[in-house]
Amino acid sequence: MGKVLEGPGMELFNKWGIYTPRHFVISTTDQFESLLQSNVWMRESKLVVKAHEALGSRMKLGLVKINLDADGAKKAADEILGRDIDGLIISQVIISEMIVHEEEFYLAVTSTREGAEILMAKFGGIEVEENWEQVKRTFVEVGDKPTDEQLEECAKSAGFGGELVEKMRKFSHRLFEAYDNEDGSYMEINPLIVNPADGKLCALDAVILLDNDARYRHPDWNFSFASEFGRAYTEDEKAIMEIDSRVKGSVKLIEIPGGKVALLPAGGGASVFYSDAVINLGGTIANYSEYSGDPPAWAVEALTDKVCSLPGIEHIIVGGAIANFTDVKATFTGIIAGFRKAKEEGKLDNVKIWVRRGGPNEAVGLESMRKLAEEGFDIHVYDRYTPLTDIARFALKGEDN
Amino acid sequence: MSIVCDENSKVVIMGGVAGVSAAMRMAEFSYLCKLPFSVTSFVYPPDAGKTAEIQYGSQFLSIPIYKSVGEATANHPETNTALVYIGANRAYKGCMEALENEKIQFVSMITEGVPEKDAKLLIKNSKKLGKLLNGPSSIGVLSAGKCRLGVIGGEYNNLKLSKLFRPGSFGVITKSGGLSNEIMWLVSQFADGVTTTIGVGGDTYPVTDFTTYLDLFEKDSDTKAVIIVGEMGGNLEEEAATWYEEKPRRIKLIGMVSGFCQETLPKGMKFGHAGAKEGKHGEGSARAKTERLRGAGAIVPDTFGDLGPTIKQVYEDLKATGQAKEIKDLPFSELPDLPRKVEEVIKAGDVMVQPLFKSTITDDRGEEPLYCGYPASELISKGYDIPHVLGLLWNKKLPNDKEAEIIKRILMLAADHGPCVSGALGTIMAACAGIGMSQSVAAGLIMIGPRFGGAVTDASKYFNYGLVHYPNDIPGFLTHMKKNVGPVPGIGHRVKSLKNPDKRVQELIRSVKELGLRSPHLDYALAVEAVTTGKKDNLILNVDGCMACVLTDLGFPHQSLNGFFVLARTMGMIGHWIDQKREGGRLIRLYNYLVNFAVTPRREVPDRK
Repeated sequence: MGKVLEGPGMELFNKWGIYTPRHFVISTTDQFESLLQSNVWMRESKLVVKAHEALGSRMKLGLVKINLDADGAKKAADEILGRDIDGLIISQVIISEMIVHEEEFYLAVTSTREGAEILMAKFGGIEVEENWEQVKRTFVEVGDKPTDEQLEECAKSAGFGGELVEKMRKFSHRLFEAYDNEDGSYMEINPLIVNPADGKLCALDAVILLDNDARYRHPDWNFSFASEFGRAYTEDEKAIMEIDSRVKGSVKLIEIPGGKVALLPAGGGASVFYSDAVINLGGTIANYSEYSGDPPAWAVEALTDKVCSLPGIEHIIVGGAIANFTDVKATFTGIIAGFRKAKEEGKLDNVKIWVRRGGPNEAVGLESMRKLAEEGFDIHVYDRYTPLTDIARFALKGEDN
Repeated sequence: MSIVCDENSKVVIMGGVAGVSAAMRMAEFSYLCKLPFSVTSFVYPPDAGKTAEIQYGSQFLSIPIYKSVGEATANHPETNTALVYIGANRAYKGCMEALENEKIQFVSMITEGVPEKDAKLLIKNSKKLGKLLNGPSSIGVLSAGKCRLGVIGGEYNNLKLSKLFRPGSFGVITKSGGLSNEIMWLVSQFADGVTTTIGVGGDTYPVTDFTTYLDLFEKDSDTKAVIIVGEMGGNLEEEAATWYEEKPRRIKLIGMVSGFCQETLPKGMKFGHAGAKEGKHGEGSARAKTERLRGAGAIVPDTFGDLGPTIKQVYEDLKATGQAKEIKDLPFSELPDLPRKVEEVIKAGDVMVQPLFKSTITDDRGEEPLYCGYPASELISKGYDIPHVLGLLWNKKLPNDKEAEIIKRILMLAADHGPCVSGALGTIMAACAGIGMSQSVAAGLIMIGPRFGGAVTDASKYFNYGLVHYPNDIPGFLTHMKKNVGPVPGIGHRVKSLKNPDKRVQELIRSVKELGLRSPHLDYALAVEAVTTGKKDNLILNVDGCMACVLTDLGFPHQSLNGFFVLARTMGMIGHWIDQKREGGRLIRLYNYLVNFAVTPRREVPDRK
C-alpha cells in the first residue's frame, strides 16, 4: 500500500471528475509570487496553507494556517517552509482556496476481501470517529459497479435528502471510479462539503491509499508514496527502500528512535515474532528489519550497515526461521561483511550479537558467524535446535534464563 | 491421508527459471519418498517445444515445455494441479487459464507482488469455478510423504530432519513461508510430524482463507490437530475462531498470532507482510485475534517460544486418548541420500578417476590463475613482462632479463611483413569479404607452414643436428642436408641477399652479441651462411633461421619455435583486419590478367550415359 499526499491526491481526484478546491503545491515563496500573478482566485479568495508532508497532527504543530489573504498566506508559507520537525525539514506547502461552508459530510471507499464498501455520513470531521456506528455502508462486489439505486438508498439512509441525494449518487460514483480504476485500497473525503458559491459537492481533503503492487499498470502515477506512520522516511530508510525496489527478494528497514535492541531477522513472518518477543520481555526495539526471498549478499550487507548504525543499541538479533530457499551461507556473508565494517568504525563497541538460523547451507553459515568471536565480536550463535525466539530472551535476561 | 495434494497429484508448472528450480526441489522430495516425479510438464511459451532437465536421484528426466495449460493437459491428461511462477503482471491471466482448464483441480500461486484487485478477482472467479487457488505469495503446500508443491520444506537434509517423508498427525496453515518450515520442524521435534502444511501467503487477500482449509482438515481423519500461524490485520483468524466455535470440531486447534509489538509502537507504523495491517478501529490486532481464538476454544500460547511445549502437550493428549501413536522412524541412514556430485565423491576419497589428460603449465582452480605456480597478479606486481609469461607457458622457465629482452625483440621484428605476404593477404581477403576477426586471422594463420614462416622449428632442428654431428664440418653438414632433407631450412630468401641484407636479421644478431648471450646455434648458422652465400648470394640466414637459432640458444624446445612466428604475426594480422574494417575495404576479386588461364577452350557437353 502507498499513501498519496494531498496535492497529487487531489490531482488524481480531479482526473476522475471529483471537484476539489483550487490549490497549488509550492516549495519556495518565489513560486507563490508568480502563481499569485497568474491566478486571480488567489487574490480574491481566503486561503489555507498547510505543510505538505507525511506528518500527523499538523494542526497541533502549527503547520496549518487558515483564513488568510494573499499576504498572510505568503507569510504563513514562509514560516512553515524549512521548519524542522524532529529532523524532518518541511520542504513543501499546499495552498488552497478556503471554502466557507455550513455542513460537513463524509464519503469513503474501502477495499474488502469480496469487493469494496462505500461509506457515507451526513456528518464530517471529527464527528465521524465519534459516531462510527452511524456511518452507512453499501457493498459492491469486485468486478462490479455500484448501481444508482444502491447509492441513492445509501445516501437516503445516511440522512441525505432532496437534491443532495442525487449529488451524493453522482459524487460517490466518481469516487468509486477513481478507487476502482486507480487500484485504490482506501479513499476518504472528510470533510465533503457543498460549495455555497456554486452549490456543488467539493472534497476539502483527500486521504488516498493506493496498491503499490499495481504501480506497473499506472504509468501516470508521477508521485512517490509518502510514509504512513506520521513522520517522513529517514535517509537510511529511503536508501534501503531504494535497494529493496531493485533486488530479488526483499530488504526492509523502519527506525524506531530510542530502542536498545536492533533487529536483523530473516522473513516477514519471523521478524514480527522477534519484535513481539523483545517487547514481551520488556525490551525496546530500535528498528524493524527483515530480509527474505534470497536477496543478494550486498543488499543484506547494506541493511546490516544501517542496522549497526542505529544509535544507542545494546543488542543485535540476527534471527530467522529455517529458510526454505534463502541461502544462509550467502546472506550471512553479507551480514558478516557489514559487521566487520561496523566494528572497524567502532559502531559495535559494547553491542552483543545474537544469531539463530536454519536453512540451506546452515552449517557453513553458522560456523562463519561463530568464527567472528575470534575477531573480537561479542557474538552468540545458535542453530535450529534452539527455539526461534529464545535468543531474544538470552539477550535480555541472560543465557541461563 | 492429507489435504489438497497427495501422491496422485500431477503437476504442471507455469513459469520459467523459478519454476524449473522449484521442480528440482520437488524431484528431491519425490526421490526421498520413493515416489515417481510429480511434475508432468511446464508451461512457458518462450521455451515451448523444448524440454527441461530435472535431476531425479541420479537420473535426468526430460520434462516437456508447452505454450499453454491446455496443450500441457492434452498431452498429459493425468495433470490435475497447477503451480504458478509467472510474473505479477501476467499472473492473473495465468491463474485464470489454469482455473478454467477442466483437468486442473487445484492451483497454488507463488507469485509475489500481485495487485490486490487481481487477487480479489481470483477469489471471486475461483469460487465461481468451484476450484481452490492457494496464494498469492505462497511458499507452497507439502503433504508429508506424498507431495510437495513448490520449495516449501527447504533443502534435502531438512526434509529428513523435519520427518517430511512420512505423515504425522498435525495440519499446519501459515501466512509466512519461513514460519511454515519452522512449524514443521517444531512439530517433528515436539510431536509426530505433519499431514499437510499450507502456506497461504502474506498478502492482504489470500485467495483461499483459513476456514476453507480447516474444513478440509476436519474431514481428513489422519489430521488430529491444526496449527494456524496468523498475524495482525485482516480477519482470517477471527473467521477461523468462528468456524471453530460454531459447532463441535474433531480437530484440536492451536493458534499463534504475531503483532503484539504494534501496541507499543508509534501509531500507524506497520511491519511484516502486506496483509499485516491493523484496521482503523482496532480490529484485527494481535491481541483481539488471540482473544477471539481463545474464546472459541483454541489453544493459543502467550509467546512463540511456548509454541513447542504447547504442541507437545496436545500430542501427549492425543496419545493419551489413543488418537495418535508414537511413530517409530527408520534411522536416517536407511533413507535415500541424494546422489553426490562426482567432485564431492573424489574429494571424500571414495573413488579414483583416470584423468583424461595431464596439464603441467597452468591451474585456475584457485582464486586466480597460476602460471607454473606463480599467481598472475604477483607477476604483474613484481614487474614481470609478456616475455616472462611466454617463457613460463612455453618453456616452463622464468627467463632472465636479457633473455626476456631478446624474446621481446624477436616478437617485435616478426610482427608483420607488409600486406602482400601469404598470411596478411589471407587475412585481408577474408576481412574484405566481411568475415569476422577471429576467422580472418585464422585465414592468415593457416598460411603458416613449410614455405611461409613455418621454417623456424625445422631450422632449429637441423642446425642443432649440424652442431651435434658436424660441429666443425660445414660442408659435411650441407652434403648431409642435400642428400637427406633438401634445402637447409632457415637459409635463403626470395628477395633479400648479401647485397640487400635483411635488416631484421642483422639487428637480431647485434642484439644477441650486445646482450652477451650464449649463441652456439647462431654461430653455427652464421658459419653455414658463410659457405652458402659463397655459392649463391641470396642463400643468406633468413629471419626464420635466425630466430630459430637464437631461441634454441635460449633453451626453447624446437616444437615451440613456430609459435613465436604465429604469435608475432598474429599482431600484424589483427592489425590488417582492423585496417580493412576501418578503411571500409571492399570485396577483393583477382584481376583476370593476374591469372594464366591455361584452360581447355569452350566445348559441347556430351549427353549423360
